[in-house]
Amino acid sequence: MAIPQAELRRLAIAKHVIFVLVAAAVIVPFVAKVYQRDFKPTSYAEDLFQKVHNLDANTRVLISLDFDPGSEAELLPMGVAILRHCFQQRLIPVVMTNYPSGVDLARTIVEEAVAKSEVDYGRKLTSGRDYAYLGFRPGGVNLVLNMGENLKGAFQTDYYGKPTEDMPALVGVQSLKDLKLVIDITSSAWVELWIVYGADRFGFEYGAGVTAVMGPDMYPFLQSGQVIGLLDGLRGAADYELLLQRTEVGKLDKTGRGILGMTAQSAAHVLVIVLVLAANARFIFRRATGREKG
Amino acid sequence: MPEPDDNASSVRRAVEIGVFTVLLAVFLGVSYYCQDPFGLTGEALAHSIGVIVAAGLTLVMYSFLYRDNPLFKIAENLYVGVALGYGAVMTWRMALREEVYKPIFMAPTTEALGEALVWRTVPILLGILLTMRISRKYSWLSRYSYCLLVGWGAGVGISVYTHSYVLQQLNAAIAPLQDAVTQGTWEPLSGAWFLGAFFPMLGSLAVLVGTVAVLFYFFFSVEHGTAGRTVSKVGIWFLMISFGASFGNTVMARLSLLIGRVQFLLFQWIQMDQ
Repeated sequence: MAIPQAELRRLAIAKHVIFVLVAAAVIVPFVAKVYQRDFKPTSYAEDLFQKVHNLDANTRVLISLDFDPGSEAELLPMGVAILRHCFQQRLIPVVMTNYPSGVDLARTIVEEAVAKSEVDYGRKLTSGRDYAYLGFRPGGVNLVLNMGENLKGAFQTDYYGKPTEDMPALVGVQSLKDLKLVIDITSSAWVELWIVYGADRFGFEYGAGVTAVMGPDMYPFLQSGQVIGLLDGLRGAADYELLLQRTEVGKLDKTGRGILGMTAQSAAHVLVIVLVLAANARFIFRRATGREKG
Repeated sequence: MPEPDDNASSVRRAVEIGVFTVLLAVFLGVSYYCQDPFGLTGEALAHSIGVIVAAGLTLVMYSFLYRDNPLFKIAENLYVGVALGYGAVMTWRMALREEVYKPIFMAPTTEALGEALVWRTVPILLGILLTMRISRKYSWLSRYSYCLLVGWGAGVGISVYTHSYVLQQLNAAIAPLQDAVTQGTWEPLSGAWFLGAFFPMLGSLAVLVGTVAVLFYFFFSVEHGTAGRTVSKVGIWFLMISFGASFGNTVMARLSLLIGRVQFLLFQWIQMDQ
């Protein structure tokens, strides 16, 4: 049955009203500077944080930033927060990406974290010594398997063209088997490929940061212990930023994009819930009064 | 004489052009006031122009929420083109140049060239064969590369996927039940039993019941009797709960993308204080 023209027009107006309401719910908290600066982090974000926090100084941590600008909003804050945490704990992050379109984004994340950490922790951080950015190499899972045998053979130079063979940041790391922790931040199936071809095969502990869409798919791996901790969407980034801030009394970085986005996200969620309830109430009312079939 | 619909559409178009002109003026004014591109030089100027272009394109993309329009189409095609171009350049820079061009055409010594040819000739040939898909006459040649890819994928993948997806998951599902019985926590109605054994066990049972019920829902080889329909209904409930969780997380993800763009517009384009 064709929908009457008047009904279509009414639906189009309702659609635009919803767009305006969602925009307002997101923009107003930023303009009014209403920021939710304290909340309870999820237990699996805390697990990942504690794992990083309890590593010994100079431990090498591989961080794979497997995403491109399409997922920047959710995943960039995670990358920056984890890298800053590594610098705070004097760990040596070794960063790479499996996305050719994410090479410059990953470099930006490393540079942003380095710049912030140099200010916050008062020490000069040098590429190749305090951290390494390896960039991208082709191969997909072959690359992971190759890294499991010979990491420096898989990445003979870093992103900046420096040979990795004698690089201080990679001393003692011949392969993935020499790493205690690998963290993948991704918007794709890479999160599972790292489990299957990396963690389960070479025995390192594995944490993940994923987009909210992928979050529910990761819970079975959390339960089985194949993933030791998880950051789930912008909320996951905010959790990690908050946990990091709690260790930095006196030099709080309140500019974390995850935390700043939480009020807007909560407001928009409340709005969506209200709209779902209102639409259902209207439907039930119309059906009860005989104006709607179904 | 023009039809009333034509008149309404002309008026609407005139209003839209007027509104667009005002919005463009506002955008340029805000960009000039907040970014001040004429007062900058060098890298700062490039950054400022980049922010203005990104802000403009962001707003143009959101104009689709009003309705489809030529500016949105331009931005959409620009996005696809830039993404493809960027991907091609990065693939050349990070993959082909490093793995093919440099080792063979810029080899520092004859020995290095010999080594490169020994190790890289076959992979390069297999790669070239893949591109034969574009030729109707020679597309069969690509099958050699695909055979290798599929064979390798199956050979390596089956064992590791069985381990990671089946054995590890089975172990995780059974462990709470096993712990409840074998590790001395089987003291019903005690607080420790509820926290330490009951809830994990309940979770494992839910996974077990859910898996069987959902599989049964999709099992059409036998007619579903009264009991079968009940199990199927349980399966539907599990599916709906799962879809609900996925939908909720998808809404959260989409809102995060909006929040990301709003943060960019407010903090980088308008340069509002945080």
